[in-house]
Order: sequence, then C-alpha cells, then structure tokens
Amino acid sequence: MTGHQNDVNELSAEAVNEYVSVRIGDQLFGAPVNAIREVFTPQSVTEVPLAPSEVAGLLNLRGRIVTAIDARRRLGLPPREAGDAGMALGVERGSEIFGLIVDSVGEVLRRPSAELEPVPAHVDATFRSMVKGVHKLEKELLAVLDVSAVIGSAAGAEAA
Amino acid sequence: MDDLISEFLTETAESLDVIDSELVRFENNPDDRAILDNIFRLLHTVKGTCGFLGLPRLEAVAHAGETLLGKFRDGELQVSPPMVTLVLESIDQIKVLLESLEATGAEPAGDDGALIKRLEDAAMGKLNTGASAEDAAPAEPEVPDDYDQDLGRELRPGEVSLADLEAAFQNAESDVPVENPADTAAAESEGHLKTGDFDPDLGRELRPGEVSAAELEAAFAAAEPDPGMEPGTPDLITKDMSTEEALATAMAELKGGGDAASAEGGPRVQQTVRVGVDVLEALMTTVSELVLTRNQLMQTVRGLEDDDLKGPLQRLSAVTGELQDGVMKTRMQPIGDAWRKLPRIIRDVSTDLGKKIELVMEGQDTELDRQVLELIKDPLTHMVRNSADHGLEMPEDRVKAGKTEKGIIKLSAYHEGGHIIIAIADDGKGLDTKRIGDKALEKGLTTHEELSRMTEAQIHRFIFAPGFSTAAKVTNLSGRGVGMDVVRTNIEQIGGVVDVSSTTGRGSHFTIKIPLTLAIVSALIVGCQEQRFAIPQLAVRELVRVGMGSEHTVEKLNGASVMRLRDRLMPIVDLQGVLRLDSGDPGEDEAGFVVVLDAGGRNVGVVVDNVLDTEEIVVKPLSESLRGVSAYSGATILGDGSVIMILDPNGLAGDIVSAMEEESSAEALAAANSDMPQTQRLLLVRAGGEEPKAVPLSLVTRLEEFDPDNIEHTNGHNVVQYRGRLMPIVPLGDQIQCTEGQRQPVLVFAENHTSIGLAVDEIVDVVEERVDLQMGSDREGVIGSAIIKGKATDVVDIAWYLDQSRAGDIQRRTSKRRRRVLLVDADAFARRMIAPLLAAAGYDVTPTGGMHEVNSIAEAEEQFDVLVGDPAALARIQASGMWADLPTVAVTDWPDDGSGEGLTAVLPRSDRSALIATLDQVSHQENAA
Repeated sequence: MTGHQNDVNELSAEAVNEYVSVRIGDQLFGAPVNAIREVFTPQSVTEVPLAPSEVAGLLNLRGRIVTAIDARRRLGLPPREAGDAGMALGVERGSEIFGLIVDSVGEVLRRPSAELEPVPAHVDATFRSMVKGVHKLEKELLAVLDVSAVIGSAAGAEAA
Repeated sequence: MDDLISEFLTETAESLDVIDSELVRFENNPDDRAILDNIFRLLHTVKGTCGFLGLPRLEAVAHAGETLLGKFRDGELQVSPPMVTLVLESIDQIKVLLESLEATGAEPAGDDGALIKRLEDAAMGKLNTGASAEDAAPAEPEVPDDYDQDLGRELRPGEVSLADLEAAFQNAESDVPVENPADTAAAESEGHLKTGDFDPDLGRELRPGEVSAAELEAAFAAAEPDPGMEPGTPDLITKDMSTEEALATAMAELKGGGDAASAEGGPRVQQTVRVGVDVLEALMTTVSELVLTRNQLMQTVRGLEDDDLKGPLQRLSAVTGELQDGVMKTRMQPIGDAWRKLPRIIRDVSTDLGKKIELVMEGQDTELDRQVLELIKDPLTHMVRNSADHGLEMPEDRVKAGKTEKGIIKLSAYHEGGHIIIAIADDGKGLDTKRIGDKALEKGLTTHEELSRMTEAQIHRFIFAPGFSTAAKVTNLSGRGVGMDVVRTNIEQIGGVVDVSSTTGRGSHFTIKIPLTLAIVSALIVGCQEQRFAIPQLAVRELVRVGMGSEHTVEKLNGASVMRLRDRLMPIVDLQGVLRLDSGDPGEDEAGFVVVLDAGGRNVGVVVDNVLDTEEIVVKPLSESLRGVSAYSGATILGDGSVIMILDPNGLAGDIVSAMEEESSAEALAAANSDMPQTQRLLLVRAGGEEPKAVPLSLVTRLEEFDPDNIEHTNGHNVVQYRGRLMPIVPLGDQIQCTEGQRQPVLVFAENHTSIGLAVDEIVDVVEERVDLQMGSDREGVIGSAIIKGKATDVVDIAWYLDQSRAGDIQRRTSKRRRRVLLVDADAFARRMIAPLLAAAGYDVTPTGGMHEVNSIAEAEEQFDVLVGDPAALARIQASGMWADLPTVAVTDWPDDGSGEGLTAVLPRSDRSALIATLDQVSHQENAA
C-alpha cells in the first residue's frame, strides 16, 4: 500500500494522465478518465432502424436516454459475438449522454504525459483520427482514445 | 462569473429589448411622455448599474445615449428618425459590449469615442450648429481608450454640466432646494466610489457634475409622479452611499423600471418570481420521470385485484397529473416574448429600404411552451423580415397601386384546438407566381408541362420546397438569403405545418400551426417485428384492422400499397418496409392494423403488426447521431423502462405526402372551383317506390321501428306515442305501407322539443357522397335528384316535411337558384349539425373549419350569398375584408354576449327554424338589393 502511495506521489510530481483501460478487439486502448462519466453494462439496448451503422441503439440509463455508439464499428472491426453485450463508457457531451461500447474495461492506468508518443504515420487514417497518441506499456501498446472524436465524427458525419 | 454581473446581464438584456421596441414606438409617437420617460428610466438604470459595477465603457456609451434622450425629454430637440437611429446605435453598442462581457467576464478593450462623439454632437444641437462642432472637434483626437482619459478637460465639463444642469433646471423648476445638496452629496459619493478607479485630478473636477445628474435624475424620476415627496428626496441621495447600498438602490430601481414598463406596455401586472430556466427544466425532467414511474406503477397494478393499492395509486395518478399540468404552465410564455425584437427589426428594414411599414401585433398574450417558443422565434423573425423586405412595395409603388403609402404587416396568434395558429399577413404585392415558377423550373423541381397545369396556390407552395432556396445551411436563420424551406423544416421538426396563400397585388398570408407543447404527449404504442414504436396521438386519425376476416385489405396498385377507406383510396406505408426491419417470416399479409395518420394534412395509412397501448410519453430529443433520420421525431422511455422511438408521421410518409400534397390540393381546388357541394353522409331509404331516396344523415335524430299497431289516427294525422308524447308520423312515400307483422321503420327528427317521424318502407344504406344535384325538382318534398351509388336518387327536402307536420302553412320558396352559404365554424360538430340543416333548407353549403380554409376559398374567388358561422370567425372574415357586402348570420351558444356586433344577425345555435327563417329573409333581401 505504502509502495503504491509512493509510486503515485512520485508520478504526480510531473504531469500524469489517467486512463481507463479498455479493450476493443485485440487492441488495448486508454480513455482519459476525465472524459468518462461512468462505466456501465449496456442493458436492453433498443435498436434504431435506419440509424447510422455505428449507432448500436438507445438505452435507458437511470431515466436518461443514452445513444450507444459501437466502438468496433467506428474502428471498422468485425462485430462482437452475439450475446456479448460488452461494456459501455458513459460520455457526456452538451446535454446528451453517449455510451461508447467496448469489449471490456480494465483498471485505471496512470502514465506521465511526457511519455505520450504520436501515432506513427503509416497507421490507418481512420484509426489515427480517433487516437491521440500511444503509451508504451511493458507488454503492449496503449492507444489513447480521442473519445470525442470517436463519438463526434459519428454524430457529425451521419447527420449531414 | 460574478453573480452580480450575471444578474446585471440578464436584467440589462431585458431592459435593452424593451428599450428597442419602446424607441420604435416613441419614434411614431414623439409626444408620448410616458414612453420616453420609460426609455429614459431604463437606460439611466443601465448606466447607473454599469457605473457601480465598474464598467466604464458601457457607462460612457449609456451616458451619451441618455444625454441625447434627455434633450428629447426636455423638449430641446425634436425627435427625428436619424436621432432615433443614433440612440439605437448606442443601444446596439451596449449590446455588443454586454455580449463580450458575458463571454469573457470583462469589458473588451476598445474605444467608443466616435459613437459617443456623434451622440454628444447630436445632443449639443446637431452637427450643423457651428459652435459645438468646433468645440467638439479638437476633443476628437484626444478621445482615447480609457474612460477617464476620455474626459477631456475642456470639453466634457461644459458639455456634461450643460446637459445635466439643463435637465436639472427643467425638472427642478418647482424643486430648487433639492439641487444643491443633491449635487454635493452625489459628488461625495462619487468621489468615494471612484477614487480607486479614476484619476482623482480629472475625476474631481469632472465627475461630480456628471454623476450628480444621474442621481438627480434618479431622484426626479422617483419624485416626478408625486411632487409631495420632496422631503424624502434629499434623504435618498444625501446619504453617503456605500457601493452595496448604491447597487441595491440601482437594482431596486431597475426592477421598478421593469415593472413599470410591463405595466405600461401590457396588462401583465401580476406578482412574479424570477426563476432560472435551468430550474424549470430540471423540474420538468423530474416531473417527466414521475409521470413515467406512475405509468410503470399503473401497468404493474393493472393486473392485480388489490383494492388497498388501487385507491392511493389513483390519487397518486391524479396528483401527478395536476403536477404535470402545473409545471407545464410554468413553461408557458406569451408569444409576445418572441415578437419583442420585431418592431426594431421592422424599423431597421424600413429605414434601410426607405419603406413605410406598420407592424400590427395581435394576440401577444397567447401562451405556448417556451421550448416551442424558442424554436419558432427564428423562423418567425425570418418570415416577418421577408414580408417587410420582399412582400411590401416601395411607398411610391404602393400609391400607384392605389394603396396607402404605409404597408401593414400583421402578426397574429390564437389558440385553436391543441394548437396555436400564428399568421403573418402583409398587404404588399403578393408572391410573384411567374418568378417562383421560373425558379422552380430552374431548380428542376418541376417541368414546364406540370407547371402549366398548376394553380397559383400550388406554384406558391414551391417556396417551401426543399432546395428552392439558395441557402445551404439548415441551422442559421438569422442571416439573409435563407429560404422558406428552412422555415418549413424548422416548423415541421416541432410537428407544425406552414402554408401560404397569396393574391397578386393584395399581399400574402402565411399561417403556421404548431402544437402547444412538445414535452409530454399522449401516444399510441404499436408493435412491428418485435419492436415497439410510439406514434403521437395528435397525428392518429383512426385505426383500421386489416386482413384476417376484416373487410379492409391492403391492395397493390402498380407496386404501391393502397387501401380503400370509405370509398377512397388511401396510400399505405408499410412500417416494416420503410424502417427496413428484418422480416422473420415471409408470410406477411396476415392480420394487422393500419394506423391512419395525419401527415401534413393528408391521410396516410401505416401498416403495423399490432396496437399495444396508449401511454403518456415524455418526448426526449434525439442525439445528434440520429437527427438525420427523418422517420423519428424523438425517443421516449416507456413505463417498463425500455426506450422506444417516436415515429414522425411527416417523415414516415415522406415523399408520398409531398406528392400527394400537390395532387390533393389540386383536387380540393377543383372541388372548390366547381359548383359541387361538399360531401355529405346520406341515409338511403326506400319509400313509395323502388328508387332510393336520400336524407342527409345528420338531420336524423334517431332511427326507430314501431309496431304498426301502435300507429294511431287522430285528426287526420298518423301519430305514435313516443317518449310520453304524441309524435306525428308523415309518410315519406304516398302513404304508410304497413306490412302485417313487420315493424315500421321511422326516421325521427327532433326540433324545438317536438319530434316528427318520417315513415319509410326500408332503410337501405348509409353513404358518404358529394351531393351533385343534377336536376332541380318541382315536386314538393324533393330538393332534386342526384346520382348516388350510381343510381338516380331523389334527395328529400326534410324541411318541407317538417313544415307539413306543422300544418304545412309555411310556403317554402321555390327558387330556381340554390343560394350559396359559406359556413365557418371551428367546431366540427357544429359544422356537421348546421351544414345538413342548411342543405336541407335548400342552400348549397360550403363548410369550413378555420381562417386557413376560408382564405384559400377566398383566393379561389368563390361567390356566396350569405355567411354563416360563429361570431368570432365572421368578425375575422369581415375584418379581413373578404366578401365585404354579404350578410353575416352568426350562430352561437351565447347569442347575448355582445360578440355579434357588426353582424347581420346573431342567433342561438339551438334554434334551427330561426336560422332558416333569418337566412331566407337576408338572402331574399340580398336578392332584392
């Protein structure tokens, strides 16, 4: 416990970013903690016929209607297996709440912001437009999601 | 942001809006002291508050504007449009400064020297008087960024004291002693206040005069209504005010000013509490949740037989309903709030274009939900500006056209059913049919051939067509060049309808019909392919069961679905198809329902699998991602917690409707143009012969069957005992054909507490048809013959039989020409009652439900002999000058309430015979005249 505390103190000496780690497909992503309102399990999602494909549907989150956006569809990945609802990150934008549906949610990670590296240029453009940068973790890479871009371009592109 | 600042912003914004419209009023009535005083007080308060809050730029501008106004007030300057424009400019500048204050929390850097200079020059007696111009000239280069520097020693002292002293002297004539103490006191308080902010050297010499004027004026303003208040006046200002106190005074004054303004401006003098919009919104959301929870609870309990639970739940339900109503009421705002900016806009347009325009506003107090209000504000502004800009002609053109120089734009609002109707009418040149047609061709919206077959009204509607306008953006209405299609889109988004009628040379008339509220609506929950959807009840006209033994089926016509509904073909939309829902089973044509929807005024059927429930739903707006899908108007959470989509009838029907709109309006017009009466429901009977006879159904009170044995003969009449009275029975045929053992069918007509029976041989059918009288008739008791259901049918003149039964002493006139009656009554039931009555009395009746229909009929230049309807509608028709010389007969439930002034006659609705008698009389007079 004390060790952990020290660790935190040490890190907080410099600028630290906190991420909710999520998995979408095979890739580990990090969503900035301050961009996320809450994490919840999407239940009874109502599909919306004629909606843009990335809109997974609407759901009721304690009396508020949440538009669920499927991160897999946004990233151009194949859909999850049937029956796997995944997890949702609640994102508030203006007066609306969006639910970004991911495969699974892990722990909160802290990384010094100085260590954030830009996404290499040869990575797919769709991917790059939704990722702010990359953190090098011990075992794998953590792609930092631009949450508003993942949700925003869904809204913008299709509404036009 | 500082609380004080934000309160200041809110209040000042309101004051400025009032000043805007008041100035325009003032310009037209320069002698109205009350208006000027009000403006002066408001602007003064703004200035005062700015000073206390340390906003020198705002204060300086406000002060300069106020000084100029002071000259008007003192009668030193004549009010002229350029002067008012100048004051308006200063108001605009204040608005600009406020905006930036709101955005950044601080005044922007910059310089208003030029504007202030112009205001000052104007106040000094205009620019052309040499002295002041020269005086002012050297000061100009010195006019710098900062306020204190702005006060050039040479110029300002004289100027300010001149303005102020003059104002003071003017006002103080009877009140001299006040001046000195006030002056010094204010000077002290000013020094006390401003030492930190301003250069003492400059401030000391200069500011005292300036501020003392402000204080003085405040004192005078307070003292003016009551000269006896002198002793109190020094008190108010001798006190060495601390900043807070002064601010409090200013705020109190501000509020007082606001109250006074509304008291003068309109009838709203109720006590009010200012509540933040966000609080109301939160309250609304909470109530919405409560309604949902109530629904959920009701649904759960519905199946149970628990009386202990049911009682309290019933109460809960009722209380929730009341709460909902109450909260909805707090959201209601008079539509005048959305109109407040319009006088200013019109004034600006008229000065810019050199037109003379009068804006008439009616029904400002009509209330509607603030959400709706917000949404229609921009479209309305745009339409009014359009009318001023494109609708009205230049003064000289108007004179040439034989009109008054001044064009009139009339804005009116009133409630009709669950809707609010807003009309924008101008008396300008009307829409340019040819130009619209050309543009429609150019945009590829129609072809030459189609265009040549269209009526004017149809061509006019192109202005609403998507893509007709050159504008690309759907959101920004404030700019110019944005077309009516955007207006239409915005209005349709909130479930409204917009239409136009226009007469070349006489002006155009736009009507907007919108729902009162959007927040909570009653909805029909339908199921389709395992999914549920909500359809707003307002849009649902009826439900029809189809397939599986039902008499209705959905048929195909060249691939398109249609259904026969009361002998008309109605287009059908398959929800499953439109929403591209996966069809699990291909065996589609099973039992289902057709929901007949009102989509843009036309009937469209939507096929659904089943109809599940009706529920009060809380409409939640769609997120950005879904707003592009036109099939939905929103989403909602049902009692069971699930989210469902709310279908938008207009969006669903989509292309079908727009295609139909043209078609059926052509149809309607064709119908209106021909001399055919409208459709009526007719009872087909057989009596005295094989050929059917038709009786307007709505005249018939009841259908009865009597045992032939009960029909007795007395005094040469057949009578039957009916409900404790004797009812005469008149044979419709030659005689009563009593068949032994069979009951005698009788049509019962009740009128004025007496009933008569018309005996027939057989009741055949009920049909709804357009009664097209092919031949008149010389036979008594027959109005004429018409083709009904493909057979020649006599239409029975019920009135003749009614008279017969009353000894038949009244000779019905046997006019060759059937007189035409325009029936206007918003109440559909009343229309159904009166129309057949008149038709039976030998009149051709054109029933209409509202001004909208009336306008289109007037546009088609139809002629009538007499107008019948409810007094309000008739008054409106008279006011609009349509059919000006026709007699008007009002029919109302309250004939004595004095609403029928100016009408030919006002009759109680219950007295049918009086109506007929009056009609006969007035239309005969008309004939003779």
